[in-house]
Amino acid sequence: MSRKAILWILYALATAVAVGVVAMWMVVGGDRGMLPVGATTDAHHQIDMACETCHAAPAFADAATARKAMNETCRNCHEDELRAADDSHSRKKFRDPRMAVYQSRLDARLCTTCHVEHRPEITRAGAVTIAMDFCAACHAEGDQDVRKARPSHADLTFDTCASAGCHNYHDNRALYEDFLARNVGQPWLAPAPTHEPSARHRARRPLGEAAIGRSGAVAPAAALADPTALDHWAGSGHAAAGVNCAGCHAPTAAPGASRAEVEARWTGMPDTGVCKDCHAAQAKTFARSRHGMRGHPLIAAPRDPERRLEAIGLGGGLGKAVAVWFADPPRPPRMTVAEARLPMRADAAHESLDCDTCHQPHAVDIEQAAVEACASCHDDRHTRAYFGGAHHALWRAELAGEVPPGAGVSCATCHMVKIERRGEIVTSHNQNDNLRPNEKMIRSVCLDCHGLGFAIDALADADLVAGNFDGIPAIHVESIEWAARRAAADRDTTFIPPP
Amino acid sequence: MPTFAEELTLLLTNEDGALLPVQKDAFECALAGAVLMDLAFARRIDTDPRALTVTDDTPTGDPALDRVLAKIAARTEPEDTRKWIRELSVDDAAAIREQVSAGLVARGVLETRDGKFPWMQRSRRRPALDGEPGKRVGRRIEGVLHSNDVPDPRDVALIALLDACDVLPDIFPGRDIERCRPRIEQLRKMDLIGREVAGAVADIERTIALAVRFRSARFREISLLLSIVGGLAAAATLLAPRVPVPDRFGPTWLEQLWSDGTWQQWSGYTLLGLSGAGLSAVLLMRARPVARRGGHGWSRLAHAGIGLACALALFAHTGFRLGANLNAALMGCYLAVLVLGALAGISVNGASRLRRMGITPRLRVVPMRLHVIALYPLPALLMAHLLVVYLY
Repeated sequence: MSRKAILWILYALATAVAVGVVAMWMVVGGDRGMLPVGATTDAHHQIDMACETCHAAPAFADAATARKAMNETCRNCHEDELRAADDSHSRKKFRDPRMAVYQSRLDARLCTTCHVEHRPEITRAGAVTIAMDFCAACHAEGDQDVRKARPSHADLTFDTCASAGCHNYHDNRALYEDFLARNVGQPWLAPAPTHEPSARHRARRPLGEAAIGRSGAVAPAAALADPTALDHWAGSGHAAAGVNCAGCHAPTAAPGASRAEVEARWTGMPDTGVCKDCHAAQAKTFARSRHGMRGHPLIAAPRDPERRLEAIGLGGGLGKAVAVWFADPPRPPRMTVAEARLPMRADAAHESLDCDTCHQPHAVDIEQAAVEACASCHDDRHTRAYFGGAHHALWRAELAGEVPPGAGVSCATCHMVKIERRGEIVTSHNQNDNLRPNEKMIRSVCLDCHGLGFAIDALADADLVAGNFDGIPAIHVESIEWAARRAAADRDTTFIPPP
Repeated sequence: MPTFAEELTLLLTNEDGALLPVQKDAFECALAGAVLMDLAFARRIDTDPRALTVTDDTPTGDPALDRVLAKIAARTEPEDTRKWIRELSVDDAAAIREQVSAGLVARGVLETRDGKFPWMQRSRRRPALDGEPGKRVGRRIEGVLHSNDVPDPRDVALIALLDACDVLPDIFPGRDIERCRPRIEQLRKMDLIGREVAGAVADIERTIALAVRFRSARFREISLLLSIVGGLAAAATLLAPRVPVPDRFGPTWLEQLWSDGTWQQWSGYTLLGLSGAGLSAVLLMRARPVARRGGHGWSRLAHAGIGLACALALFAHTGFRLGANLNAALMGCYLAVLVLGALAGISVNGASRLRRMGITPRLRVVPMRLHVIALYPLPALLMAHLLVVYLY
């Protein structure tokens, strides 16, 4: 065989092997870091190597099947959130055959019509990947033409709908017209500004009868010899609620177990799974947050190369031998500060995010977790400006007992919504739940202390938000006046309750 | 006495036994012409405007010459010099070169060196034993060009052959051959050979000059222009800012071009098709039937035109976006192929201009080699790109 022929055969083999390796990475397992066509959005970068979470369709599925599977994944994770927001443009609305004409312009039944991953160039605020004047698709002609239906909108352009603080596509709970009209003319600050859910949360006290004192601690002698840990626990909510050392360090021991049994089942460094046993609601919401989404139950697990090889007819010994080369790289189970895309403190880069990142293991000091824990990692202007601002002053005053519970504003007050469940106030650990668009925060937080008009203006003023509301809004959103004027004009037919 | 073919081989072979970076067309024509001249000097053939005929079919004793002599003698239909030059340069040049080199080895002028590795045993080169024979011929030719002495008739014929093939500047890089032009013309007019032989040699020389010009100069200017424009278009992909997707809602063609899956497939497969067509043009260039019909110029023109079309299709597919990860690797590779291909096109089609600018032939072949090297990873990257697109 000539040298040329040998070289061509070697080249063809090398090409086939290279393509084969890439195909194996995709279908069987291995590091796929080289494959994405672009960076994932800020919302999903934490899980960008769990590709099957979104790319849920089988390999080589047709485009329609792949799109359907992907949109199903979107709904699996975000549907509850959209339902809670009373989605203004729900999927159900667009499945009506009468909406067919709008579907042809913008298929609002599919999340991926407006939100496409891996396209950083066209990704705008809210992970929207179509032009921000997309409202024009349906609201620029016919009965839906807002410029004709509302004289106030006659000179407005469609790129201002969602960017001026007036509308959101999904969540308009604080922005819909009737609500605006009902809340017109409110003072900027309530006479006794208190965040009601926070007040109830702080006011709750564990049952006194269940409380355990320092002397009631049941633990091995070596553990009891640590006075700091013991003091912290004795002063914590855990001790007050009757959770003894074994509750976390020997979770398999029966309640009220003897010291010997506790010693036998003792774990010096329990994992955070024990927290989740009791704080299921917090754990569930944490897994939906950007801090904890790597622990979300719907995130695809690393692939099993042996099973996948078997599925393509490469089982047995050969499959086992090949599988060794195509294992998915281990994924860090927790998000780390170093991976964050927001400005973070360099000295916190090593921190990984789980319960014990914000909550000290024994003290369980929720006051510390509500502010200091956040600022120990976040290092953006908004966070830095909090300290010394009006909200921080109120928080300090609340901690000092100078103002009633709930009057102080911590980071958690705004970013970790309090949810009422079966009469219990639970802190949502999904920090993103009411973060973007920031108007989501109005009803759950701002309106407890501020008037609607002031809250809308403040949240529309990006500089004021960045400066942590240290000042007054430089922007005025007119939507509330427009809604009031329209309501007044329709007063004969519409009942507007007094503010 | 060495034959023209042997002297030509020595002149166009470097010290390592590799061919000098002359145009392949020119070398093949020169070799065919050299053999015919040898046969003419040996009074075995004669030419007239209609046919090249064998006057004496007695073998000369030189395998390369006898092979060609037998071939011409065996042809029943008479064919003119032009057709024989074309046929010999396309079909027989490689065999003639091999026989000439083997003869030189047998005489102890060249030696055979095999490749270093066992599987490269066929990588055989034949450098001169002491590097001198080629230089000696070169010095002799230079001496004739720079003196007013009456030269040897064979030297005159060899110079005329080298000049007809336009390889003198490649054999003597850095020398101003144009200054020797009056002397070359003077040598041509010298009546040193017998009339019969002189007529045949002049006919061969004239035919070779036409063949070389036809094969290498056809469409040269437009191919050069296409190469330059193609190179600029490819460079623009690297240097120009990406064309943004319109920030207005509504189906605009630019948005569809760079966002819509169907449009992306159209532009992508157009690019793939053009790339295949470009490769086919190169293969056609090497195909004997095309070469025999003088299709080199067409193929080269097509290759340059397809290169330019590839750059435009790449813009349609990407809008000057370089992509990320595997796509970035594919873009890097594809742009390298286009830019180096354009440079290679410029070096081939603008050879005479580059020569005047003092760019040596050795330097001129660099873009061509890099262009070919850059092509190697392209199929793997393209297939991986298709897999990623269709699997995810």
